[in-house]
Amino acid sequence: MSDLSRRAFLAAAGTGIGAAWLAARPEDVAGAHAHADAARRASERGEAPPPLEVLTPEQAADVEAVAAQVIPTDDLPGAREAHVIHYVDSSLATWAADQRQPFLESLDRFNATVARRHPGRSRFAELTSEQQVRLLRASERDWFFRQVRTMTVIGMFANPSWGGNFEGAGWRVLGFEPRYVWQPPFGEYDADAQRGS
Amino acid sequence: MPQQRRRIARFRAGQTVDFVVVGSGASGGVMAKELATAGFTVLVLEQGPRLEAHEFEHDEFKAFDRGYLNNTAALQPQVYLQGPGARPRRHQATVYHRLVGGGSVMFTSNYWRFKELDFNERSRHGSIGGTGFADWPITYAELEPYYTKAEWELGVSGVPGPFDPPRSRPYPLPPLPVKSSGVLFERGARALGLHPQPAPMAIISGPYRGRPGCQHCGYCAGFGCEHRAKSSTLVTTIPAAEATGRCEVRPNSYVRAIETDERGRARGVTYFDAAKAEHFQPARAVVVCANGCETPRLLLLSRSSRFPDGLANSSGLVGKYLMFNGNASTTGVFERQLNDWKSVMVTRMLWDFYDADPARGFYGGGGIDARYWGYPLLFVQGGLPPDAPTWGAEFKRLLRHNYSRTMNVDVHTTSLAVETNRVELDPVVRDDWGLAAARITYSDHPDDVAMMRFLAVKAVELLNAAGARRAWRPDNFEQQVGFHLLGTCRMGNDPRTSVVDRFHRTHDVRNVFLCDGSSLVTSGRGQPTCTIQALAYRAAEHIARFARRGEI
Repeated sequence: MSDLSRRAFLAAAGTGIGAAWLAARPEDVAGAHAHADAARRASERGEAPPPLEVLTPEQAADVEAVAAQVIPTDDLPGAREAHVIHYVDSSLATWAADQRQPFLESLDRFNATVARRHPGRSRFAELTSEQQVRLLRASERDWFFRQVRTMTVIGMFANPSWGGNFEGAGWRVLGFEPRYVWQPPFGEYDADAQRGS
Repeated sequence: MPQQRRRIARFRAGQTVDFVVVGSGASGGVMAKELATAGFTVLVLEQGPRLEAHEFEHDEFKAFDRGYLNNTAALQPQVYLQGPGARPRRHQATVYHRLVGGGSVMFTSNYWRFKELDFNERSRHGSIGGTGFADWPITYAELEPYYTKAEWELGVSGVPGPFDPPRSRPYPLPPLPVKSSGVLFERGARALGLHPQPAPMAIISGPYRGRPGCQHCGYCAGFGCEHRAKSSTLVTTIPAAEATGRCEVRPNSYVRAIETDERGRARGVTYFDAAKAEHFQPARAVVVCANGCETPRLLLLSRSSRFPDGLANSSGLVGKYLMFNGNASTTGVFERQLNDWKSVMVTRMLWDFYDADPARGFYGGGGIDARYWGYPLLFVQGGLPPDAPTWGAEFKRLLRHNYSRTMNVDVHTTSLAVETNRVELDPVVRDDWGLAAARITYSDHPDDVAMMRFLAVKAVELLNAAGARRAWRPDNFEQQVGFHLLGTCRMGNDPRTSVVDRFHRTHDVRNVFLCDGSSLVTSGRGQPTCTIQALAYRAAEHIARFARRGEI
C-alpha cells in the first residue's frame, strides 16, 4: 500500500493544516465528529445550521468564496453546496484549534492584498468572480490559499461525518456511491467481458 | 467444523506462561494459534487496541490522514536519514499498523508465494558488490507445505498461472470476479505478448469456514473488513487460538524489553499496559513477531550488561539490511466507465518479469498488477494527470470525468539487502512512552530504482496497449517510506552473518525466537505477507517440537 499512503502523506504534509492533522489525537477526532454531527443533523432537519463557532460571518464569506473558486458550482454541487465552510469552521474549533490564529492572520494578510490591488474593496468576497480568479491565480503559492484549497478538498470529499460533503454532494461530483455492497459487473468493460463480447 | 468452545484463557498477573508472543499480526496471529493448538500456554502482547469487524469504518480521512491505527508521529515518532551521513529529520519512514491482527487486517491482500529462485538467487545470479545479497538457509520445497497450509487455513482465492512455483494443492477458493481494470489489463498484456493471470488474494470469494464471501465494498487497502472476508489473523487464527482455552491476546500492551537472567536466557518481558503502567510477564520462551521495524528495535532496547549491543546481536546485524520492496504506480484513463472504486483492489497480475535478467544490465525482478487507488479523497489529491489544474472549473470537470474512468497499474519489485539501510535507536528522540525512537536510514540501491523504472515503462506500454486515452508514470522512484519491513534480523546458518537460524531461533539466546518480515533474507517481488505467514507456520511447528523435547 506504499503509494497510497505516500500520496496522502505528501498531500497533507508541509501544510499547517495537514501537519496539525497528523499530530491530532484520537480524542480530538471524536470531538470533531461530535461537533460536525450537530451541524449536519440540524441541516438535515431543514433547520438553519448552527452559527459558526470560530469564523465571523465576514471571515466565513471570504473563506467560502475561495472554496467556491476551488470547486465551483455548475450543474452539480460545488464547495458552497457541500457545506465546506462548516467543515473548515468545525476543524478550527476542534482538532485544528492550534491553527486558528495563524489561519485567521493569514486571511487578514490575504485581504490586505485584496485592498492593495482593488482600491475601495477590503475583502475577497467583495470581488467579482473574474477578479477572484485572477487574484487566486497569482496566489497559488500563498500559504492561505494552500490551506483553503486543502481544506476545501477534504471538506468536499471526506465522509460527511467531518462536517462537509453535505448529503454526499462531493461524492456525486465524482460519481462515487457510498453503498459499500456491490455485485459484478462493476464497470462497462467487465460487463462486456461477462456478456462475452 | 463445530468446535467445543472453551473459555478464553486469562492469565493471572505474574503467572508464567510457556510462550509470550510479541505482536499479533500476520505472523504473531499464526504463531499464537499453532503453539496454543500444540498444547502450550500462550500470551500474545499487542501494542494496539482490539477492534472487532463491526467496528471498522470506511472513513478515509481518519484512516489515511490521521492514520489512527498506525504508528503515528504523535505516538511513535521516527527519525529518518536518506543514506548514511545524511541530515537526520523527523519523518515516519516505516509504517505499520497497531491493532490486534496488525497489518493482516489492513493490507491490500495480495497473496503471492515466493518462487524457488527467491531462496537461492545469490547462487544463481552471483554476488552483487556492496550488498548482502545471500541465499536463504531453506528452500522453496521446504516451505511449500506451509504455503499450502496458510492458503487453506486462512482462505485464499486464486488459480495458478503459467509462472507459478509447484504447489501440492490448488487454491481453496476460486478467484474473485474480474473488474474492468482486470479486463483492460488482460487486453493490454496479451497485446504485448505477456501472460496475465488472476491475482491470488487473501480475500474469500465465497463463504469459507464460517465467514461470508466478499461483498465488494471497495475498501481493502488501509481498512479493516467489516464482512470478515479479508483473511486477517483477527478473524481466522486468533479466534482459533483463543478457542483452545490456552491463549490470551492482551491488547494495548507495549513490550519495552525482553529480560534475561544470569545465564543469558530470556525470563520474560516487561510491557506497558493501556495506562502506561509497567508489568513483568514471566515466560519460558519469547517469540517476537513485531514486524521488521519493531522486532529489531525491541532487541536493541533490550540491551544489558551481558548484551551491551542489544539482545541476540553478536553478529551486529540486528536492524541491518532493511528492505522495503520497490513500488511504483502508473495511471491510465479510458473512454468508458470502469467504476473500479468498487470491489477488491487487484484482480489481475503478471509475472513475466519475475526473474532477474542479466541482459537488462542490472539486478532485479518484479510483478505488475491492475488496481485502483480510487478512494475519493486519495483520488482528488493525486489521481489526475500531473499537468492537471489543482482548482477551478477545469479541475472539477476532470475529477468528474476521470474518477470512474481511471485505473492504475502498479509495479512491485526487489530490494537488495544493503547494510547501511537499517533500523537503529535514536539517541535523542523518545516515543510517547519514553522509549528511544526508531532511527531509519534508507536509500534504494541503484538496481532497485532501475528495476522500478524498467517495469513502470512496461506498465505504461501495457496501459496504452489496452487502449488508454492517456497514461503516465512517475519520474522519481526513490522511496522514503516503507510498508514492507523486511530483512532486519535475517535468517542464516552462520551466527556471524545472521541473527536467527533456519528455525527462527536466535543464534545467541536459546529461548528467544524471531519470526516476521525481519527474518527474510531476500525481499521477494513485492508481496511478502504470504511468505511471512508460511514461515510462521513452519517456525511454529519446529518451536513446538523443540518445546516438547525440552530443547528450549
